[in-house]
Amino acid sequence: MNIERFKDRKRKDEDLAEEIDSHLAHEQDASAARGLTPEEAHRQARLKFGNPRSVREAVWSYRSVPWLEDLWRDLRFVLRSLAKTPGFTAIAIIVIAVGIGVNTAVFSVINTVLLKPLTYPDPQSLVRLRNTFPQGSNPFASVPEFNVWRQQTSIFQQVAASDFGGAGLNLTGGDHPLQVQGIHVTANYFSMLGAPVIAGRTFTAAEDQPNGGRVVVLSYGLWKSRFGGQSDVVGRTIQIDGQPYLIIGIIGKGFLTDPAGDLWLPFQFDLTSENMAHFFLTAARLQPGVTLQQANAQLKLVADQFRRQYPGGGGPLDGFGAISLEESMIGDTRQPLLVLLGAVGLVLLIACANVANLLLVRASVRKRELATRAALGAGRIQIIRQLLTESLALSLAGGLLGLILGFVGVRLLLLAVSPGGLPRIGEDGSAVTLDPAVPLFTLGVSVLTGILFGLVPAISASRPNLAVTLNESSSRSGIGFRSGKLRSVLVVTEMALALVLVIGAALLIRTFVKLESVDPGFDTHNVLTMAMSISGDRFQRTSGVAQLVHDGTDRLKTIPGVVAAAATCCLPLQGGFGLPFDIVGRPKGNARWTGSANYFDLSWSYFSTFKIPLLRGRSFTEQDNGSAPGVVIINETMAKKYWPNGDPLKDRLLTGVGMGPIFAEPARQIIGIVGDTHNRALDEDPFPVMYIPTAQMPDAETALNSRVAPLWWIVRSNVEPHTLVKAISAALRDASGGLPVAHIRSMEEMVALNTSRQRFNMLLLTVFGSSSLLMAAIGIYGLMAYSVQQRTQEIGVRMALGAQASSLRNMVIRQGMTLALIGLAVGIGGAFWLTRFLASFLFGVKAWDPTAFIATPILLGAVALIAVWIPARRATRVDPMQALRFE
Amino acid sequence: MLMNKAAAGDILQGTLDMLILRTLVMGPAHGHTITQVIEHTSENALDVEQGSLYPALHRLEDRGMLSSEWGVSENNRRAKFYRLTPKGHKELAAATSRWRQMTRAIGLILGESTD
Repeated sequence: MNIERFKDRKRKDEDLAEEIDSHLAHEQDASAARGLTPEEAHRQARLKFGNPRSVREAVWSYRSVPWLEDLWRDLRFVLRSLAKTPGFTAIAIIVIAVGIGVNTAVFSVINTVLLKPLTYPDPQSLVRLRNTFPQGSNPFASVPEFNVWRQQTSIFQQVAASDFGGAGLNLTGGDHPLQVQGIHVTANYFSMLGAPVIAGRTFTAAEDQPNGGRVVVLSYGLWKSRFGGQSDVVGRTIQIDGQPYLIIGIIGKGFLTDPAGDLWLPFQFDLTSENMAHFFLTAARLQPGVTLQQANAQLKLVADQFRRQYPGGGGPLDGFGAISLEESMIGDTRQPLLVLLGAVGLVLLIACANVANLLLVRASVRKRELATRAALGAGRIQIIRQLLTESLALSLAGGLLGLILGFVGVRLLLLAVSPGGLPRIGEDGSAVTLDPAVPLFTLGVSVLTGILFGLVPAISASRPNLAVTLNESSSRSGIGFRSGKLRSVLVVTEMALALVLVIGAALLIRTFVKLESVDPGFDTHNVLTMAMSISGDRFQRTSGVAQLVHDGTDRLKTIPGVVAAAATCCLPLQGGFGLPFDIVGRPKGNARWTGSANYFDLSWSYFSTFKIPLLRGRSFTEQDNGSAPGVVIINETMAKKYWPNGDPLKDRLLTGVGMGPIFAEPARQIIGIVGDTHNRALDEDPFPVMYIPTAQMPDAETALNSRVAPLWWIVRSNVEPHTLVKAISAALRDASGGLPVAHIRSMEEMVALNTSRQRFNMLLLTVFGSSSLLMAAIGIYGLMAYSVQQRTQEIGVRMALGAQASSLRNMVIRQGMTLALIGLAVGIGGAFWLTRFLASFLFGVKAWDPTAFIATPILLGAVALIAVWIPARRATRVDPMQALRFE
Repeated sequence: MLMNKAAAGDILQGTLDMLILRTLVMGPAHGHTITQVIEHTSENALDVEQGSLYPALHRLEDRGMLSSEWGVSENNRRAKFYRLTPKGHKELAAATSRWRQMTRAIGLILGESTD
């Protein structure tokens, strides 16, 4: 295409006009030369040439791109006409922006959690290996399992293990020891996940052997923060829990893991170990061409072999399995996120219905304008195109605002409420970024929205009924029958959708209230907890830990305001370790053990500090130490489950049955029963728990615990506990020889954290529900107010003929409420069908909870009544005389 | 366009272009002269519809076949003179040979002897 063609159109046109004049003059000269009169010559020349304007138009249109011109003209026209009605424009854009904003917000989270591929190379071939049971599965592995998995070279290229850094490590050697997340990994972990090494190297196989030396790899973040990004860090030595470690490498910024690590240490597994403790995760890379199904089939055989080799290594129905690493990271968050997406989809639909309604009103006000345009020759398509341009301009403006709104919104949301353990979103949702997928999604939604709410009003407005419209007087040319019906359908739809959302919100609110009213089993008020990493050498033996607990507790009690203090491996609501046990003397048949329960090791003052009630027997005392006979306290659930009729206090427990030599110990006497606490979550029933004094733990078990979990300190105070943080930290630093504490939280904060997912869902759905309720109310109000305004004259006539004001009011209310009630009926039906998808969110309420299903429609009905009442009252204020003169 | 409107189409459109280019071989000329020359040379068989002359001239100029400048005509009036560019010369040659081939082909079909 020749670009010359489109340049300088205006100048060329003037040029052409002059050229045509010149042509006519020459023609006139020629005719005059043949003897015609000047007038006749002039006439003949014009006749011969034809219409100069049409020549100019022909050249002009040859110099233009028609659809672009049309679009530009439509757009300018639309912007002018929108600017003339700023109120309408603002409301429409805001409604769309809210609808698109919530969609953008939820999509940006979904994009990060579900859609973005893992940042590792060839993520499809990465799998998580796990143990499977008839009841489910878990991703935790033991060393013997890891050992057989890594031998399956026919299906796996690489098998690598990593732990959670749960215990934390202390960077010592400076004035301020720092507690860091140190993750133990096998040597091939970095190469399997394609970690970018920006300096030095990662672990060799020799360094990953037992006694392979003290070496460490730093993360980018720690290198920057602790070492100021100095280039000569590799080769230096740092102190970790008082031991020198050689820094051998630094990993680049792009390497994301869950949980994030500050530094990495070699696992140094003893592969001959028979330790059955499950304390780390295993991932593998499949051989090229091997499918997940093939890998799982092979693992089934491996599990059978494994059980023969280690009779204690699993039940007959237990097995091994592999799932995609991505799938295992996403876990069970897919469905909740999709439900949220569905909810915001409904919000957007309501917004569309609302704007469509506004456009219908606008179209009916502009009927004469449109009819005039049609009379002047605008085709139906041209009118539809112009109206669609208008709705697209609105939806794109709304989309742009919505993009900003959504992005700011999601930031605020992620900061304000912890999203309840959503994976892959980084620290405070920092991984939720504006990558190209999000604006593209918003653009797509905006265009779709514009067409969705614009098309129906445009088509209905373009219906040619020129004569009728033009003949109608402007004040009466109101709601035509068809667009009136259409608007009613839209209002009914809005009510129905809003009801579905509000019922959803009501169910989640009831869930949250139920959760809040769950008794956690201990007194959460004025209790502060904090974690201390005890990975140093002196805590590899029970006596060292017991000494620390003793000294620390003593010092804490001297702080003014502290009422009680204790230490433990595991806090309520955080879950503990699981351990199988036998009841001494009770036959167990073919079973490998009598049962299995959580076990918590703790200092003697734990129950009094948490105010957990002692139901029977006695509590621990300071005398239940390493030299005293072994004792154990169980919780009520355990007592009821395993001693439905008998007396637990007469029995002894053998813990760690079949778990290998680390857990072997003599039987313990059950000395007491305490009340239940919720171990993992408020919406889960308490598990059976065995409580064991820290001072009586076997050394090997203490060493393992020190490695996988920090020591938690618990302080009860009679003042706001956060005011004591400084004194407590100082006391514990003195008692431990300089160890820092981290993760300082009150138990009230822990409870809030524990219910954060429910709080997140509830808040979101409440926001969605109330905004949709507001939009539906505006919709029904708008419809009735408009209809009253249009019928002013009719109402005036009726009043003049003696109709009572009250009966007129009731007429309007009846019409409005009929629509509202139809909408509510449809909505109840829809909600019955849709709330089943909420079932997994709910606790203590059914998906068809009668309270929600009765209260919510009443609430919506009341809101609708208010929205209808206002225009209805206006109808009664019509002055008949004025109404009749309204023309 | 040209005389026979029913036969209008690409061929004839191209033909008008060709005739304009041919006319300008004799030297620069303005629009009115071009019409006159085509009409006289064809012994008034071809009557250029003046409305289509100017769009054709502008198209040819955009495509670089012609250049133009304002000047003073033989009648002492301001007029825009068109001049053939080298590209226009080439196009004229190509168009002429296309035309010859086509008329020959049509002639063959109509059973006229050629040469």
